[in-house]
Amino acid sequence: MIPGKYRSVSGRAANNVNCGLHLVIQTSSLPEKSKVEFKLNKETPSFPGRLLQHDLERNYSSRQGDHINLASSSMPSFPILQRSSEEKILYSDRLTLERQKLTVCPIIDGEEHLRLLNFQHNFITRIQNISNLQRLIFLDLYDNQIEEISGLSTLRSLRVLLLGKNRIKKISNLENLKSLDVLDLHGNQITRIENVSHLCDLRVLNLARNLLSHVDNLNGLDSLTELNLRHNQITFVRDVDNLPSLQRLFLSFNNISTFESVCCLADSSSLSDITFDGNPIAQESWYKHTILQNMMQLRQLDMKRVTEEERRMASVVAKKEEEKKRESHKQSLLKEKKRLTINNVARKWDLQQHRTPNIATNQDTKVSDSPSQDPSQLHGSAVVSAFPEETGSLDSGLTSALQGLSVTDTHLVEVDGDTLSLYGSGALESLDRNWSVQTAGMVTTVSFTFIEFDEIVQVLPKLKMKFPNSLHLKFKETNLVMLQQFNALAQLRRVDQLTIDPQGNPVVNFTLWKYYVLFRLSHFSMQKINGTEVTQNDMIMAERLFGILAHVASSELPQYRLISILGDARKKQFRYLLETKGKKPGLVNEDNNDSKRLVGENTNRATLNYTTRDFYNERLEEIKEKKKFCKMYMEDLVKEATDINMKNEALQKLWPQMFIELVRDAVIEIRNKNSYMKLCLQQITDQK
Amino acid sequence: MLSPERLALPDYEYLAQRHVLTYMEDAVCQLLENKEDISQYGIARFFTEYFNSVCQGTHILFREFSFIQATPHNRASFLRAFWRCFRTVGKNGDLLTMREYHCLLQLLCPDFPLELTQKAARIVLMDDAMDCLMSFSDFLFAFQIQFYYSEFLESVAAIYQDLLAGKNPNTVIVPTSSSGQHRQRPTLGEASMLEGVEASLFYQCLENLCDRHKYSCPPPALVKEVLSNVQRLTFYGFLVALSKHHGINQALGALPDKGDLMHDPAMDEELERLFKSEHGGPGL
Repeated sequence: MIPGKYRSVSGRAANNVNCGLHLVIQTSSLPEKSKVEFKLNKETPSFPGRLLQHDLERNYSSRQGDHINLASSSMPSFPILQRSSEEKILYSDRLTLERQKLTVCPIIDGEEHLRLLNFQHNFITRIQNISNLQRLIFLDLYDNQIEEISGLSTLRSLRVLLLGKNRIKKISNLENLKSLDVLDLHGNQITRIENVSHLCDLRVLNLARNLLSHVDNLNGLDSLTELNLRHNQITFVRDVDNLPSLQRLFLSFNNISTFESVCCLADSSSLSDITFDGNPIAQESWYKHTILQNMMQLRQLDMKRVTEEERRMASVVAKKEEEKKRESHKQSLLKEKKRLTINNVARKWDLQQHRTPNIATNQDTKVSDSPSQDPSQLHGSAVVSAFPEETGSLDSGLTSALQGLSVTDTHLVEVDGDTLSLYGSGALESLDRNWSVQTAGMVTTVSFTFIEFDEIVQVLPKLKMKFPNSLHLKFKETNLVMLQQFNALAQLRRVDQLTIDPQGNPVVNFTLWKYYVLFRLSHFSMQKINGTEVTQNDMIMAERLFGILAHVASSELPQYRLISILGDARKKQFRYLLETKGKKPGLVNEDNNDSKRLVGENTNRATLNYTTRDFYNERLEEIKEKKKFCKMYMEDLVKEATDINMKNEALQKLWPQMFIELVRDAVIEIRNKNSYMKLCLQQITDQK
Repeated sequence: MLSPERLALPDYEYLAQRHVLTYMEDAVCQLLENKEDISQYGIARFFTEYFNSVCQGTHILFREFSFIQATPHNRASFLRAFWRCFRTVGKNGDLLTMREYHCLLQLLCPDFPLELTQKAARIVLMDDAMDCLMSFSDFLFAFQIQFYYSEFLESVAAIYQDLLAGKNPNTVIVPTSSSGQHRQRPTLGEASMLEGVEASLFYQCLENLCDRHKYSCPPPALVKEVLSNVQRLTFYGFLVALSKHHGINQALGALPDKGDLMHDPAMDEELERLFKSEHGGPGL
C-alpha cells in the first residue's frame, strides 16, 4: 500500500503502476560533490544519513563515499528520485547520479531549479524524464548505453551536453538546444555530421572515436573554435572554410592521404592549430612543407610550434615542386604534340602509299587542331630549349632530356642526345638549318621515318656535311624496294650501322639484301646490320655473290662509259658544292679530298650508282632530243651512202658498154690516117 | 662475208636486217652525250671501243631498257651478262622470289619492266602461286625465252586463245555456208573438254607465224620437235618445253647448256686473283 502523499508524484510516469517501493534520494553533508542517497521507502520515509539496504542491492559506495539509497520497483516503471530538503537547499542546482547502475533515467521530483545533472557511468539506454528540468545547463551522460539522442527538446537553456561513450548512431533532435556551447559525442557510432547547423553558439564539438568517413555539413557553426575528429575513418574534409572561428582542428588517426582531400583548410584564415598525426599523409615526404606552404596561418602542427625556419624551407621546396610540375607539364604537352604529329605524318604516309587510312581519324584531327592554335608560343619556347648553352635558368637535369626542336602538323624533327629523328618529308628541310656545332657533333644516329627513300637520297650530301659524326642510319617506312637504292648510300663518309625496319621497306624480304649491302658498302666496314653483328663469313659471302658484278661493272665497261658514269657522280658532288653558298674555303677543300678518296676506294664498285626514278626519266627525256637528231643525221648519211652506192652500181653496170663505145669511137676515128691527121692539126690551130 | 645473198638485198633492207642503223645511231648519240669527255679521248678510239663492246656484248650494261630490247643481239648480250654476273647466286643455291630476280635485273638495267619478269615467272610456276621461290636455272631459261622471243610469244598466245575458242586462223570462213561453222562447233566442244590444244594444229599455225613475221622466232624445225612429242599441250606447257629445250638454247647462243650453267672457269680465275689481291686471304 502506498501512502497517499507519494502516489501523486508517481502518476507522471507513462505506464506507472502503483508500486510498493519508492526511490528516495538523500544527500549527505560532504561539501565538494553532492552526494546522493537512495532510500528505500518500504518501511520509513527517510533516514538521514542512514544506509538502508535492499535485499537485492549491494552496499555500493562511490569514490567520495557516497551514501546511496536505492529503491527499485519490481515492475517496469521509473524510479522516482527524491532528495532530502537539506540536500536540496545545499546543492539546489546540481545533482550527481554517477555509478548508480541506473538503467533508466529516474523521475526527478521537485528539482525544477536544477542546473547541473550528472548521470556518468550508468547503464541508461534512453534519455527520459528530464523534460521538466527546464533550467538545466549541464547534462552529463558520459559512459552509458544511450542509442539515440532524444528527450532534450525542452532543455532550451542547455549549454553543455556530454554524451561521450554511448551507442549513439546519429546526431539528431538537437533542434531546440540553440544555446549549446559544448557538445561531446566522442566514443559513439556516428557516421555523419548532420543536424548541427543551427548551433550557432557551439564552441567545442567533439566527435572523436566515431565512424565518420568524411567531414562536411559544417555550415552554421559560426562560433566553433575547436573541432575534435580524432580516431575516425575520415578520408576527406570539406566546409571547414565555412567555420569563421575555428582555431583548433584535430584530425589525428584518420585516413587522410592527400592534401587535396583537405584542401579547404587552406582557405580557413582562423585555423592556428591542426593535427594530422596517425594519418597516411603524415608519412609522406612532402607532408610538412605542403601543409605549411598551404596553411600559412598555422602556429602549431601536430602539437608542435611551427618555426620560421620550417616555414621558409616549406616555401622553398614548394617553389621547386611548382617548377618541376610546370616543366613536366610542358614536357608532356610537347610529347603529346609530338605523338599527334607522328600520327598525322603516318596517316599522310599511308594515304600516299594508297593504304587504307585509320578508322579513328576524327578524334585525331580534332585533338591535333587544338595544339596548332598556339604554335608560335610552343615553337618559341622549343627553340630556346634547343640551345642549352644559352638558357641557364632551366634546371640542367631537365634540358638534358628530350629536346623537341620543331613540331608542326606535317613533319617532326627531334634531337634526343645522339639521335636525330626525322618524320615526314618536310623534315628534310630542317637539314638546311644552322645547327650548333655541339649539337650536330653529338649526333651519331639519324633516323628517317615516313619519308620516301628517293627524297632522302637527295639530301645525303647535306647530311654528310652537317652531321659528320653520323654513323648509324635507321630507315623505317621509307619505301626501300630495290637493292639498287643502297648504291646511293655509298656517297656518305662512313656508316657503321644500318637498320632497315621491315615495316614499310619491302627490300628486307629479299634473301640477298644484306649481302648486297655488305658488298656495295664494303668500304665502310660495317659493324652491324639490323642489330646483328657482321661476321667475316658474311663479308666473304657477299664478295662471292656479287664480286663478279663489280668486276664486270669496272673492267668490262668500255672506257668512255666508265668516265661518263664516274664523271656523273663527281659532277653531282661539284654541283652541290656550287649550290651551297657562303661556304668557307676550308670546307670545299675537304670535300675535294673526299671525292678523291672516293675514287681511290673500290673503284670497281663506284660505277654502281643509283639515280632516283624521277631523275632517270628526266635524263631519258633529255636524251630523246639527241636521239632524234642522231636518227635524222644517220638517215641523211644512209641516204647519201645509198645514193653513192646506187650510182656506183649503175656505173658498174654501164661501164663496160661505155668502155666499148669509147674504144669503138677511137678506132673509127683513126681508121683513115690522112683525114685524122688533118683533124688533129685543125684542132691545134683552133685552140690558138 | 661477201656472199651473193647479202649483196642481193636492197640497201635499206640489208641495213635493217643487220640492225646497223640502230648501232650507228646509238653510237652517235653516246658521242653527243659525252662530248666533253670523249673529245679528250679521240673520236676514232671511241668508235673502236664502242663497236668492240658491241661485239663482246658489254654494250648493254647499265643501259636503258629501250636500247637493250632494240636488237636480238642486244637481248642475247643482256641475257649473257645477267648469267655471268649472277651465276654465283645460282651456284650458292639460293631460291629467290620473282621480285628479287627483278631486283637483280634492275641492277643491270634500272628501268627493266616488271611485266617481263612476271611473265617469265609465270612460265616457271605454270601460272600458279606467283610468290613461289624459283631456282636460278629455271628462272634464267624461262626468262631467256620470254625476253628474247617476247613478240613471238605474244602472237603465239593470241593464236592459242583463238584455238581454244575453236577458231582456226588457217581456215577460210565462207560466210554463206553454215555447214563450215557447224563443222567447227564440235571441235570447240572437244577442245573445251580436254586441256590445251592439239599439237599438230598448233604447229601449223606457228609455222605460218614464223614465215609471216620478220622478228626473231625459234627455228621452226626445233619447234616442230617440241610439238611432236605430245598430242595436246597448254600454252604454258609449250613455253616450259621451249625453255627446257637444249637445241633452242644453243640456237640462241647466249647461255651455256643447263649442265654447264654454273661453270665459268675464266671468270672464276679472274675472281680468285682479285680476291687474293684484295683480301690476301683464302680464295673463294
